[in-house]
Amino acid sequence: MVDLEKLRTVAKETVSRDDVKYLIGWRQGTYGFRVSPHFMKEPEEAEKLIFSPLCSNNLATYLTSVEKLPVPRGEEPDTRKVALMVKGCDSRAVVQQIVEQGIKREDVIIIGCPCDGIVDLNKVKEKFPNVLELVQARWNNGNVVFQLPEGEKEVPREEVLADKCLTCRYPNPVEADVMLWEEVKTRGSDEYADIKEMEVKDVQEKKSYWQDKFSTCIRCYSCRNVCPMCYCEDCILDRLNPNWIFRSVNATENMAFHLTRAFHLAGRCIECGECERVCPVDIPLMKLNRKLYKETREIFDYEPGLDLESKPLLASYRPDDQEDFIL
Amino acid sequence: MSEQFKPNIVAFLCNWCTYAGADLAGTSRMQYPANVHIIRVMCTGRINPLFVVNAFQQGADGVIISGCHPGDCHYMEGNFYARRRFTMLREMLEYVGVEPERFHMSWVSASEGAKWKDVVEEAVESAQKVGPFDQFRRNKINW
Repeated sequence: MVDLEKLRTVAKETVSRDDVKYLIGWRQGTYGFRVSPHFMKEPEEAEKLIFSPLCSNNLATYLTSVEKLPVPRGEEPDTRKVALMVKGCDSRAVVQQIVEQGIKREDVIIIGCPCDGIVDLNKVKEKFPNVLELVQARWNNGNVVFQLPEGEKEVPREEVLADKCLTCRYPNPVEADVMLWEEVKTRGSDEYADIKEMEVKDVQEKKSYWQDKFSTCIRCYSCRNVCPMCYCEDCILDRLNPNWIFRSVNATENMAFHLTRAFHLAGRCIECGECERVCPVDIPLMKLNRKLYKETREIFDYEPGLDLESKPLLASYRPDDQEDFIL
Repeated sequence: MSEQFKPNIVAFLCNWCTYAGADLAGTSRMQYPANVHIIRVMCTGRINPLFVVNAFQQGADGVIISGCHPGDCHYMEGNFYARRRFTMLREMLEYVGVEPERFHMSWVSASEGAKWKDVVEEAVESAQKVGPFDQFRRNKINW
């Protein structure tokens, strides 16, 4: 299981290499159950790194969100690699970015952390309200052990783990240069029960459900910013000419925004669930993303982020794709 | 006595097949509903799914997308990409509560004026069945 010593040694070795710019990992947050991303540049910082059921951030998003400043005349561009710690879902994000040629394989060092599931902070807060002291956590046989101020407490995984982790089919990184410890066994399977339940509802019911959810959206664009797959340098939501989606916060623009956001992830979303985690008004975004994921799997028999050699879904075709709705 | 609802249909047609097909329907003096507003694009592969959402926002009650038959694309493979794209879009629209009767896709070649007539008739009929569409409409704040 999780071997922090190994993690820190590998991190130290990696950062000491000349061709590595920095390493992105997790460190303890400032209070409660929080965990922050850590950009490690010096080998001495290795002691700060952790890996626990609280490490929910998908660090793959930082690979593409680096500002690309113009290189001053006479200077060489910085071609050093970035090392990245990944869970199973994060590794799929990296693979999908490589498949789409957003980044190059040789520019990243992937350090794989097989993961037994990440907790959902909302569920934890409900269980242990008002904890301000730093809390650590670890896995024990799939269950989560919290080191609370009043002592250790073991909680069954079903009660605290995020929904995406309970149905996770890829807990082990699909691509890694270094695998830190032995692979964990896959405990989840995904039957898309919530999606199927939604699909069979009446049109009016669906309409009012989504209108209700989207009307609370404040258009903070956190879901876009945190998404490892949303890395267009020129995002359509920021573009003013042509102004496809107005910035006014009302029912119709919110609807257009959410449809656009979800559709831009069609066949690309790797179900890391970050959008839903960061949403300040708790819109069930994964319910929309997972619908598209389900169709991708069922209609096109395609899953993003598994194979470095594959082509993106909407940038490829098969002559015998289904077309039963086309007149 | 209320008049029958006249839906606004926006049609995105590929320049090489369906636009010519619609032209043929016109020159052959075929009668078909006048509710359809045709927008010519060079290929169905050029149609951004956002066009469809935007058409709904600006007051369309239904959208038709039509192009060459698979394998006949002037640009070899544009309609294959379009097919995948709109399969996904259709699933998503249905999921968020847009009646599937509002979104039509068809393959109409330059010689199929009669088929184009059928497509428009079907689109108008089904849009009439589900009524006006205001879920996405811009000028109407429907909180």
